Amino acid sequence: MSLFVEDPAHFSKSRLKSDLVAHNVALPHTKSRKEVYVDLHLKHIVQKNAGDFSSDDEDQEQDLADKEEEEDAKILDPNTLTDDDLKAALLEHGVKAGPIVASTRALYENKLRRLQQSEGQGHVNGVEKGSEAAKEETAEQSNQAQQGSSKNGDFVYPQCFLLSSRLRVHATRKREPSPKRNLGNVIKSSEQSRPPRSQIPGGITKASPVDQRSGLGSGFPSGPQSVLSNGGSSISSQPFSITLMVERRKSLSSSTDTERDLNGSNVQEHWSRSNRPDKPIVDMCTVKNQSPYYTPKESPYKQKMKPSQEPVKDTFKEMFSNMESSPTGMCATRRRPIKGAAGRPVQYAYPDTPTSPITLQRRKVERRLVPIHIQILVFIIVACLLYIIYVCVEDNSFSPFVALLDSLDPGSESEEGLMLQAEIQDTAVFSGQE
Amino acid sequence: MSTTSQKHRDFVGEPMGDKSVMALSGIGEILGKKLEQQGFDKAFVVLGQFLLLKKDSDMFTEWLKDASGANSRQAGSCAQCLREWCDAFL
Repeated sequence: MSLFVEDPAHFSKSRLKSDLVAHNVALPHTKSRKEVYVDLHLKHIVQKNAGDFSSDDEDQEQDLADKEEEEDAKILDPNTLTDDDLKAALLEHGVKAGPIVASTRALYENKLRRLQQSEGQGHVNGVEKGSEAAKEETAEQSNQAQQGSSKNGDFVYPQCFLLSSRLRVHATRKREPSPKRNLGNVIKSSEQSRPPRSQIPGGITKASPVDQRSGLGSGFPSGPQSVLSNGGSSISSQPFSITLMVERRKSLSSSTDTERDLNGSNVQEHWSRSNRPDKPIVDMCTVKNQSPYYTPKESPYKQKMKPSQEPVKDTFKEMFSNMESSPTGMCATRRRPIKGAAGRPVQYAYPDTPTSPITLQRRKVERRLVPIHIQILVFIIVACLLYIIYVCVEDNSFSPFVALLDSLDPGSESEEGLMLQAEIQDTAVFSGQE
Repeated sequence: MSTTSQKHRDFVGEPMGDKSVMALSGIGEILGKKLEQQGFDKAFVVLGQFLLLKKDSDMFTEWLKDASGANSRQAGSCAQCLREWCDAFL
């Protein structure tokens, strides 16, 4: 008891909150008053600091009873709410309600009821799990995270900005634990073989309350449920605030020593996590969303950052040997140049695509055919000839064929006559000259 | 949705005007009667409800199931038809 000389009643509300979070105590409802926090503080932290670990189970049982009371207080009958209250309650659950009028009210009441029920189940689950033992926190958390992910199926995270390829690659790769990557971690083999997806859903789904607070996360059905399932493990849906974080850091640095003694296993576990390549990213997520499991051990993580760097780099060089490592962790490959576009030289020639038998056949046929311009020329010539013949046949006045036929018989006579006349004239001229 | 019914196409193809609630795809005579008893006599009244629910198909489906006793397929068909109508004419 002598550890805490200050009276928790004199703490600020945020300080109380941060302390509660630091000691893995489920936070009460966001709107509850300071007294609730003080009570919880007294119950959990002061008793814990007495060093009586054997009473943990009792603590948890008390916690459970506590929870149920809160639960009862919180579940209001939707029928008694006013329209505005109903809307606010729905908004708390992350549902953006439309206008609540006579015809839609029943629907929204049902929805709220269902949401509350699902939340209640989540809480009960979380508390049951928590009551098993404080030492098995790690296992419990992975369980819960798996529960959350199994609840959501293969959960897609549309609200989370995917930070880099690191996260994704490791998320897929780490499904099957490889002993090589964990060479640097000598702390707990059981932790290393634990399925790593527990970090990723935990870190990412917690991004949703932030969005919902800002009123953006609507129409996102699985978001609130995932929050609820996580909410059981005392990840409250309180809004994110920087002052709170700063506050927590201060309190952490002040009570780091005691915490190391108390939560030694936690710290170790945290280090082993921080050794993993994707840790910086997940850690950022969790810090931002105030997960009770990661945040308290922030300072040891930062101290240990340097030595744990080596194995990280090795694995990355293995994986992305052809890529340059960037400080942000993002990597981009050069775009394949477009073939000869914009006057650039062709740097990459696409292989000739194999032609289908039909096109081959067509080509063969085309080779035998007369080229199209010659065809057109021939057509024009034929058309001209036909036209000329037509014109000739139609026009009687100028018909060489008919005229030719007509003039065959008399033509020969007249020609002979002309010839004779010419000869007569010639002889006459000659005789006249002589 | 792979195929749509003739009723669906008829409804989506033109402004609904003053059509009866039974012109909605998925709502036949029996469901239409039930809806009319509750005051939803025209298709545009049902459209109003759909719009009040912010075009949320899930919520609308649920409402229709409650209000008229439609099954999931009928309610889903009606919601789809209203949504497509909204896309086309709203």
